[in-house]
Amino acid sequence: MTHIAPLPREAILDPELNALMAEAAALGVPDDLFPRIVARAPEQAVPLMRALLMSHAHGSVDHKLKEVIRILLARFANDKYFASLRSAKARAMGLTEQRIDDGCGSYEDDAKGFSAAEKCALRYADLMFLDAGQIDKAFYDEMKRYWSEAQIMELGAFIAFHYGMQMFMRSLGAKAAP
Amino acid sequence: MLDEGIDNYAASERFTDAEKVALRYSELMAVNPDAVDAAFIDELRRHYSDDEIVELGAFIGFNLGYHTFFGTLKFYPLFSPDGRLVSQAESEKIYGAAPASLGKAEAAE
Repeated sequence: MTHIAPLPREAILDPELNALMAEAAALGVPDDLFPRIVARAPEQAVPLMRALLMSHAHGSVDHKLKEVIRILLARFANDKYFASLRSAKARAMGLTEQRIDDGCGSYEDDAKGFSAAEKCALRYADLMFLDAGQIDKAFYDEMKRYWSEAQIMELGAFIAFHYGMQMFMRSLGAKAAP
Repeated sequence: MLDEGIDNYAASERFTDAEKVALRYSELMAVNPDAVDAAFIDELRRHYSDDEIVELGAFIGFNLGYHTFFGTLKFYPLFSPDGRLVSQAESEKIYGAAPASLGKAEAAE
């Protein structure tokens, strides 16, 4: 039970929010707890849900990599809710729990099989809220060896938004989905 | 008032109890999230509805994430406090290494 009760599913009448919730249900991230909570702030609910879905499941960066990054951030944020959710799309693309655990812990280990580009993106997420001072011009220059500037913005915005929403859900005491 | 809200809101007489608890929510989410527990949410409820707490929390989370990201990009506002279009180099001098509110920047000019 969260500190703030989510709205009942049937109380959400906005067709746009319902469509986004259906898209999220197919993806598996988020489940309906997040939109039922943010629906309490109706002006924010649709843009928040759209940004959450767009940044995660769309764009030019590999969705499997973004799923690993999302879970890495949720574990770092100690957000049990988002950390428990899994993208069905990423799973269908071949992402395994072992790969997720490797990406969250030992991605720098060459034996784990992450490419230099993936390691750099994972390091970006790792450092963003641990030691942002290390993400300097030299770090961005290294990122540019593997990623276009558009992809770097896609990754950065994705990392920033998902971490922010994870900290928000943690503050409400949201727990792992059963 | 902006500086006081950032540096000294808890002791300030210029903020209401409701404003202070909202400011504390934003501070704790970033630096001590374990302190945002059921008791803290109950304290928020003395001043805000559940809907308003969700609005505040989502706003704070969004800003927490994006300000950290933007900080790594080292870009600065396009305009000076007096409304001039300025270069990034000049803007960095105004808003950069020691983050200054508009009031402080104006005082320094």
